[in-house]
Amino acid sequence: MSTENTTPTKKISRRDFLGISWAALVGLLGAETAGVLFRYIQPINTGGFGGIVNAGKVDDFKRGSITQNQAGRFYLVRLEDGSFLALWQKCTHLGCSVPWVDAENQFHCPCHGSLYNQMGEVQGGPAPRPLDFFPVTIKDGEVFVDTGNPTQRSKFEPGQTTKA
Amino acid sequence: MAEQSPQQEAFPKGSVKTYNLVEVVRGRTNMIEKGPDNTIFSFPVVAILELLITLGMSAVLVLFSLVKNAPLEDLANPLVTTDPAKAPWYFMGLQEMLEHAHPLVSGIILPGVMVLFVMAIPYLDNSRIGSGQWFTSPRGKKITLWTAIYTLIIMPAYIVLDNLFPPRELLRGIVPDFVAQSLIPVVILGIIVLLPLVLLMRSKPNAREVMLVLFTVLFVSAVVFTLSGFLFRGPGFKLYWPWDMPNGYNPLNNL
Amino acid sequence: MSILNSITNSRIWRSFFRHGWPDNPLDRSLIMTTNVFFHLHPVKVNLKSIRAAYSLGLGILTVAAFISLALTGTMLMFNYVPSVERAFPDIVALQNSVPFGQLFRNLHRWGAHLMVLTCVLHMARVFYTGAYKPPREFNWVVGVVLLILTLGASFTGYLLPWDQLAYWAITVGTSIASYEPMMGALIKKILLGGPEVGQASLTRFYGLHIMVIPAILLLLISLHMWRVRKDGGLAANDLDAAPLEDGQK
Ligand code: HEM
Ligand code: FES
Repeated sequence: MSTENTTPTKKISRRDFLGISWAALVGLLGAETAGVLFRYIQPINTGGFGGIVNAGKVDDFKRGSITQNQAGRFYLVRLEDGSFLALWQKCTHLGCSVPWVDAENQFHCPCHGSLYNQMGEVQGGPAPRPLDFFPVTIKDGEVFVDTGNPTQRSKFEPGQTTKA
Repeated sequence: MAEQSPQQEAFPKGSVKTYNLVEVVRGRTNMIEKGPDNTIFSFPVVAILELLITLGMSAVLVLFSLVKNAPLEDLANPLVTTDPAKAPWYFMGLQEMLEHAHPLVSGIILPGVMVLFVMAIPYLDNSRIGSGQWFTSPRGKKITLWTAIYTLIIMPAYIVLDNLFPPRELLRGIVPDFVAQSLIPVVILGIIVLLPLVLLMRSKPNAREVMLVLFTVLFVSAVVFTLSGFLFRGPGFKLYWPWDMPNGYNPLNNL
Repeated sequence: MSILNSITNSRIWRSFFRHGWPDNPLDRSLIMTTNVFFHLHPVKVNLKSIRAAYSLGLGILTVAAFISLALTGTMLMFNYVPSVERAFPDIVALQNSVPFGQLFRNLHRWGAHLMVLTCVLHMARVFYTGAYKPPREFNWVVGVVLLILTLGASFTGYLLPWDQLAYWAITVGTSIASYEPMMGALIKKILLGGPEVGQASLTRFYGLHIMVIPAILLLLISLHMWRVRKDGGLAANDLDAAPLEDGQK
């Protein structure tokens, strides 16, 4: 420590330094508390919907078929090329459950009439984007859908499907 | 403050604070015929008024509760959506807006701008003139009345026309979604909201009158949208007359 | 009246109430300044400001609705478990088997609607009477926060019966929030405690509804009413005021 008492660079007085340190410490404490609280209120996923759902055997799903999985809240679409696409049944407009209507060959939301095709792409109505999809993995001939991770997209791309 | 009279000095009038308990002395109150003489002791008059309001409200609530039961539908079922699916009535204005523009615009940006505007009102208009007086002046009253009438006509018209010729569907695939669902509605609504202001500007309004126009347009629009969403939207969220809903749907059951 | 006198003169009584019977100016002042509930009021008010045609009594009505909701809500809590399995049957039982259960539920439901309504109308009244102007800007901002909290209280309560109406109203309502581009999805996830309305949402909404929001409301309502006093009573007082020195238009 310098013994000179007229150092030109010394701008902050001892009192100010201590004051600022205290303020910084309190600020840090506040930030830590906020961080802890933020982590604390994060949702936890335990099984069922929101976890990884076993949808069944690959061979149980015909090509070009659409199967509803009620527990997982999704439609498992098997495209003509044999790949899988898991569509969350939740309308991207305001969250109503969208039923697949066989007669119209499309998803038709009862709430405000959004229409989606087999790949979940918007055909009409107020929906702003295609139906969200869940990642699908295939292990030992069984289809697993990770319902904890709905993914938003702006259009259908082959990368969203999983080859059997 | 300019020196006026001794009374004015002893009791400067103003909204700051007109009295203070400094000391208690025996004798006649020195307020007599001096200073602000328009005041009374809060106790017991204000206390009694407050009690009366509370009792009156309780009586009305109890009577109403005896006549009409709170609604209760079937057990919640995440797999089956009710048709229509409505938010609580005070959010129906928001939901009605969502019919007319992209949700980011109608659900977030416009309401956000509205809340910020309402919060900012005292800072946009900080003149003190006319504070504590309904509509501030006869002119203010006229401005409010005409703005309200204008909004009551043009907003329902907008809702019906936009519903008959929705740019979203008419222009799907012709122009980018952004234009049809965000740009066009914002431009139309912007013109509707700002038109009365433009008209007013020709007569050199003060800040209070500008606020009167803007607040009235927004407030009455909010009422119109809320009523439209709450009363006039039926199954499929389509427009119907409230007394003529299909499938026996009664909008009042959504309370 | 000697018994009464000996009670009101006792040390215990005098330690509770530090003023005499309020029939004279001194005690009428003291009752306001020494009582925590009354002290939200000024000692004296301008006659103009208590005219019904000025304030329409809407602020007080909102306070009354809030107090009534706190009371009826507590009654409902005694017969309600916030679980997906129990909530709905509890409400049915409340209506069918609990004496006056239906009445308390009705009171709470209609009271909630009333509070939202009077709060909105109160805001309109404050605006149209120009009562937001200085020095009341801050109280206006507090008011806007109160309005948002009131809506929040009503919205979180809406889910608790766990019927179709509740479920889809909250689904639709929280979906609107998720459109906020930066925090929307996160806010929705934290509110619901998961990707869709479920047990986690019910638990969270219950906590917000019975504790968090009412506590903040209580604090802010007190602040709001105290500020009314600090800003010189209702703005109607200002009409008596002398011209302002800063000569604003
Ligand atoms: C929980 C909701 C609210 C409660 C319980 C409440 C309560 C009150 C009460 C009791 C008063 C006294 C005057 C009267 O009865 O009208 C008052 C005045 C006032 N309120 Fe509120 N209020 C609420 C919401 C609001 C809102 C939403 C605003 C505006 C955005 C607001 C702004 C004001 C202002 C500026 C005053 C002073 C009015 C004047 O000086 O004339 N309050 N409030
Ligand atoms: S929620 Fe499906 S169209 Fe609105």
